[in-house]
Amino acid sequence: MTAAPLLEVKSLGKRFPTRAGREPSPWVIQDLSFAVRPGELVTIIGPSGAGKSTLLNMIAQIDTASAGEIVFDGAVVASHDARALRPGFDRKIGYVTQDDNLLPWRTTIDNVLFPIEVQGRLDGKMRAHVEMLIGAVGLAGYERYYPHELSGGMRKRAALIRTLAYDPPVILMDEPFAAVDAQTRTQLQADLLKLWELGRKTIIFVTHDITEAIALGDRTLVLSRQPTHVAAEHLIPIPRPHNVADIFAVEGFAAIYERIRAAIQ
Amino acid sequence: MTRWRTYADRLIVLVVILAAWQVGSYFVGPYWLSSPWAVASRFVAQIWSGELIRQSAYTIEESLIGTIVGGVPAVLLPFMLRRHPVLVAILDPFMVGGYGAPKLAFAPLFILWFGIGIESKIALVASVVFFIVYFNTLAGVRALDPRLVQMAQIAGAGERHVARHIVFPAAVPYILAGFSIAVPYAIGGAIIAELISSNRGLGYLVQTGAMNFDTTSVFAAILAATLIVHAANMLLDAAERFLLRWRPPAQVMLDVGN
Repeated sequence: MTAAPLLEVKSLGKRFPTRAGREPSPWVIQDLSFAVRPGELVTIIGPSGAGKSTLLNMIAQIDTASAGEIVFDGAVVASHDARALRPGFDRKIGYVTQDDNLLPWRTTIDNVLFPIEVQGRLDGKMRAHVEMLIGAVGLAGYERYYPHELSGGMRKRAALIRTLAYDPPVILMDEPFAAVDAQTRTQLQADLLKLWELGRKTIIFVTHDITEAIALGDRTLVLSRQPTHVAAEHLIPIPRPHNVADIFAVEGFAAIYERIRAAIQ
Repeated sequence: MTRWRTYADRLIVLVVILAAWQVGSYFVGPYWLSSPWAVASRFVAQIWSGELIRQSAYTIEESLIGTIVGGVPAVLLPFMLRRHPVLVAILDPFMVGGYGAPKLAFAPLFILWFGIGIESKIALVASVVFFIVYFNTLAGVRALDPRLVQMAQIAGAGERHVARHIVFPAAVPYILAGFSIAVPYAIGGAIIAELISSNRGLGYLVQTGAMNFDTTSVFAAILAATLIVHAANMLLDAAERFLLRWRPPAQVMLDVGN
């Protein structure tokens, strides 16, 4: 706990609007708190239906919070009013969603350049930076391909570097590798860690896979069932850099795996 | 291989149709039905004399201007109304009424209002094209995937970026489908308006042909109109192949005629 937190979630709560004539809707998330330091890679794991995506949607400001607050670098982010939402909080919070959401009418490179283009920051230096990222995740040669011509893993890589390329201080990731086969997933995890070692972004990575949570994270938060709150917190005692493919073989893996598994109800 | 097979089969169908026509005209008499040979000769002769080219050009001009006058607002309106669902809802019954009303029945009114010149034909074509393209564009704007918009907003895109880079490209397949449906109606509308009152165009050729009991001339004009519709469709297909090259091929096939 050396540096001050970059992102703080304080007593966050969420309930969806009640329809007329029904019982008040239950709390999906209640009294959920945690803090993330700059440059930290925090993984969040929880049972399905625990409101993990809802939590990230609130942090990214595409959904309203019903209670509590989210503080980013001293400024309150979460809003209770849908009209006051500022998606991405002025490009400070990036979001890699479960679906790649690539624009089907843009080629790989134009998809990756999209945020930079709408932010009016497109220049030769940015283009070179993006080309470097494309090469780093093995998409060189596929720059001019349309999304439907790419494999699922390639699309995930393109979506990943689209967010990394414009360099938001915090990046949220919502099970971005859930829909690909195990081998591709390991490769994508390795790619992510390689990119993270380059820039040491602050990342909040949601997953339902304990191995993934350990392989990627500095720290893992375990969420409870609904109403969701942080049930447990585990520091990952594995020294960096992590070798994703052989993470099972590392000393201490089995112990931390058991502890996290026990914490998930 | 299959492609050439298709062309060969088409040729066979064409020959069968022409043969049936030729036989029919032999029994009914060329006076009523003309004959493929007579129509073909007349068609070539009128092309050579420049008559058919001149009248076709007039009909094409009416259709083209009418399609632009009706089509451009029909594309723009759903975009402008995108953020105002209440306005769309208010307008909806009127738009449905306009879509359903038999526009061809308005032709005499348009001639009363705009005269027998090109303006009345443009008005009729525009009124036909507008509603078809409007509803297709509206469907395209509504079918937008909200997750793409959220992605863009998080990346820092403003309202104008979203409209230009997300909503518009997503609606292009629908807009093109709308024009594909509208173009035959546009040319048909122009010809109907000429039939009612005009001294130029393919409709005028049909009208004078019929008045002179010259069925050959009527069929030659109809043949010209059919070829124009075909050419327009080929142009639209080419535009679609170019503009929608980002789509998987199977999807392009499925969405034709949506």
